[in-house]
Amino acid sequence: MDRRTFLSLCIKGGVSAAMLTSTQLSAMQSLLNQQHYNDYKALVCIFLLGGNDSMNMLLPMSGQDKADYLASRQNLAIVDPVRLSPISTLPETGLNPALAPLHELFNAGDLAFVGGVGTLSAPTSLDDYINKRSHIPSHLFSHNDQQARWMHGKEKQSINTGWGARMLELLEDQPHFASNISLAGTNPWQIGSKTSAFAMSRTGQANISAFSGTNTRAVQLEQSVMRQLAASQKRMAKVYGDGLTQGIANSQAMNASLENVAPLPDFGEGRLSQQLQTVARVIASQSQQGAGRQIFYVTMGGFDTHDEQVTKHPELLAELATSFSEFNQAMVSLGVSDQVTSFTMSDFGRTLSSNGDGTDHGWAGNQIVMGGAVKGQDIYGALLPQRLDSEFDVKGGRLIPQVSTDQYSATLAKWFGLSAGELNELFPSLSRFDQQTLNFMT
Amino acid sequence: MIQGKAMILLASMLMLGACGGGSSNAGNAQGSGGDQSPSQPPTSIPDGQTPPGNEQEKPLTYPQMSVAQASRLLHQGTMGPTGAEISAASKLSAHAWIHDQFSQPITYHLPLLKLSPGKDQASYSNRIDTWWRASLSSPDQLRQRVAFALSQIFVVSDTGNNLRSRPEGMLNYYDLLLKHSFGNYRDLLQAVTLSPVMGTYLSHLGNEKANVELNIRPDENYAREVMQLFTIGLEELNLDGTPKRDSNGNTIATYDQTQIEGFARIFTGWTFAESTKWKYPNKDYLNPMQVWPEYHSELEKTLLNGTVVAANEGPENALKLALDNLFQNDNVGPFIGKQLIQRLTTSNPSADYIARVSQVFNDNGSGVRGDLKAVVYAILMDQEARDLSQAPEHFGKLKEPLLQTAQLWRELNAYSQSGYFYTWDLASTHGQVPLGSPSVFNFYRPDYQPLSLAGTELVAPEAQIANSATSIGLLNYHYSSLVWRIASTKDQTAGNQILVDLSPHAQIVEQEGKAALVEYYNQVFLSKQMSDELRQELLSVFDWAAKYDLEYQIAYCLFLLVVSPEYVHQR
Repeated sequence: MDRRTFLSLCIKGGVSAAMLTSTQLSAMQSLLNQQHYNDYKALVCIFLLGGNDSMNMLLPMSGQDKADYLASRQNLAIVDPVRLSPISTLPETGLNPALAPLHELFNAGDLAFVGGVGTLSAPTSLDDYINKRSHIPSHLFSHNDQQARWMHGKEKQSINTGWGARMLELLEDQPHFASNISLAGTNPWQIGSKTSAFAMSRTGQANISAFSGTNTRAVQLEQSVMRQLAASQKRMAKVYGDGLTQGIANSQAMNASLENVAPLPDFGEGRLSQQLQTVARVIASQSQQGAGRQIFYVTMGGFDTHDEQVTKHPELLAELATSFSEFNQAMVSLGVSDQVTSFTMSDFGRTLSSNGDGTDHGWAGNQIVMGGAVKGQDIYGALLPQRLDSEFDVKGGRLIPQVSTDQYSATLAKWFGLSAGELNELFPSLSRFDQQTLNFMT
Repeated sequence: MIQGKAMILLASMLMLGACGGGSSNAGNAQGSGGDQSPSQPPTSIPDGQTPPGNEQEKPLTYPQMSVAQASRLLHQGTMGPTGAEISAASKLSAHAWIHDQFSQPITYHLPLLKLSPGKDQASYSNRIDTWWRASLSSPDQLRQRVAFALSQIFVVSDTGNNLRSRPEGMLNYYDLLLKHSFGNYRDLLQAVTLSPVMGTYLSHLGNEKANVELNIRPDENYAREVMQLFTIGLEELNLDGTPKRDSNGNTIATYDQTQIEGFARIFTGWTFAESTKWKYPNKDYLNPMQVWPEYHSELEKTLLNGTVVAANEGPENALKLALDNLFQNDNVGPFIGKQLIQRLTTSNPSADYIARVSQVFNDNGSGVRGDLKAVVYAILMDQEARDLSQAPEHFGKLKEPLLQTAQLWRELNAYSQSGYFYTWDLASTHGQVPLGSPSVFNFYRPDYQPLSLAGTELVAPEAQIANSATSIGLLNYHYSSLVWRIASTKDQTAGNQILVDLSPHAQIVEQEGKAALVEYYNQVFLSKQMSDELRQELLSVFDWAAKYDLEYQIAYCLFLLVVSPEYVHQR
């Protein structure tokens, strides 16, 4: 946004620059004083809430591996996988047919899988687990704790921040509000020590009815609301007052920059599609916002398939694959697919064994990365044997990860522009692994 | 008629406000922000009993509340008080008001369910409509508020799953919470555990014993969440809610996978009541689940604190032993007590406050553990909740968005011409939906700390849903539900629109002036803690908006009030 847009925004809102609160001013200031990058990059985190049974995305297709798989998964086994042809030489591996739309992206080199990923603070063996050695992540198998571990990039401490926000804070002194955007509300990934997510609703940000128009009512109400919010005294009141003040200022700025976005390729009606469509619109307008680096957080729920997995899980994967494909199309049409990388996270993988109708909370899982900068058509990390009582199985088919979430995340952060030293700062346990990053990004 | 009655109460309340409420605590005048409470109120006192340890002291008397005190108590203990309720309560002591509430008959929700015209099946919208009508109009307000709090601990949700098509079952689940709100926690735990709605939500309904050949083992979902969320939490706690530490200073986990598997076996063999089949059962979402012993795991079950349920104990006895094992755990008092405090009075209770409430959970004074009536009484009557002059600066909590709207609609006698309260997409406008959390982890976590409190020990759970998207959703909702829904501006075609009646407030302005209305708002919405700045903002509306009709002026005034930090911070 340039100064002229900023001023016209003030006029539109019916306020003079003198009327702006200090928070509004600082929001505006950060628009004007944006650190200028030579390039633009965005990371889009797609969090699959509940724990995706992601071992069931990539399937062994022959030999003992397949026999083990069929024996462990029983009625939950996928029997008609789509054969993948990765660049690397790997055991014959198939794709869950519900993910068919991803096959094309994979073959086009725009999509890769990372196998055997999970929360770890150091390389971990079955013996470590059985003897409860101190580096075992705390509260394994608990949804919110494991989600937080993924997103914090370190074990829980008294003050917790997310690696997404910390990454922005390493890149910039005072990150631009539009560099940190959530389509799914507050989350651990985007809370830093100076920045927290600017939350947008999945279909974009609403205009503020009370302040709309230029008549006395609109002007007086806006001024009065902003005065009151700024006058919050007590700490709990300030939590609300400061939060809403920023929310209003940032929403007005965002809506002004979204006004001129040209139509994008079609997206579906699903919640994930709608969120990704809004992400695409924000990316399309990013040159107006001036944030050289952006992180986005979107979510898809329903993956906690304790029951009815046979019917539910394919539906979830199909929706996921369709949304990915739509988003990829939008990035291509905007000409930014090399600059935008999308990736999944999920609480944990699930048990290989069944509870009769579904699966329970596991540990390691597989993840998806997509974008022009991804070294696609390949599978990274480890394809863990889907066999019960293997050396990776802590019990019931909960598999010990062979790639830590931090290695996976650090690979993305490195692409985003962080140095090796900064990666170690961002992920304190990274130094315990031989390999700090994987090879899936250009 | 009703309006006339309300006006008399209004007038008497304004008088009370003016003359100090006629109580012995006339000192808490407006502007001081303080609320001089009587000396330390007694802790839990079951009806008709002398408080424990006080036998030697003279019988306790309970002073009549001032209007400010009554307003504070009712903000903590109702779905949002009206002026009439505050006025009536100010003639009572806090003790008497709470006991009067305890004695109110239960307003169950399921009997209030109304089908939409022309429909022969209830829908999700009917469920939400029922919640609004019951929450707004029932006399047992304290029970409704406590049940709403419990619904955020014993979470079930019909967001994103098939329970959405089971509105009767969902309403019945809420009724179960209402039924036990002032009962015993052990009974509540059992009722929740055997609810077919909970069984569906956390998938222990239809859960079978292991089948080794097929690699099938019992579903662990309920076993995990009943411990993590409904009873003991993840870490061992002291009575005051602080975590216990081992010799290395580390926290101590309450359970591991061994207990998960033990409890998972407990919760096998249960399905819908009176089903004739185990597979593809007949679905009764109302009555408690029943057991099919042949599907129950009769293996040994390791529970907490080294307790083991022997093999072949039988499913019903095993369940009883397991729920007793959870119920008797030392964590339950502080774990549940603290969360109830957070839902009712303050996000950041002192350790001593938590300890006092936990103590009452452990023993209500008559040797009974888990008496929720005594716990609710202890939470509301605690000196930290009642005596604002002694409370820390950070005392209080952010008002939940649904409770903000509920208070407005209660005070403004909201109605629709069709009789329905249809509200669409509460998740976007309020960030919360009754029994509609995005997951079993509720809308917010009890330990959520927003960036603005970083570096302090303080949390603000409700801030987790006050992000820029939902805050603006709520801002717009308040604006439209006030300014665009004034009853007197509508003809007979408003249909399902939820209208607000601003005429009683207009009468106050006409008869006593704008200052009287603002002072009335001070009492009803702000428990007489309104700052001079806010008072000036509200008074000035009647100047800058003078060209608009009076009821619009009032709507703008109310809008500014409910979005103000002073209103949103319940103190």
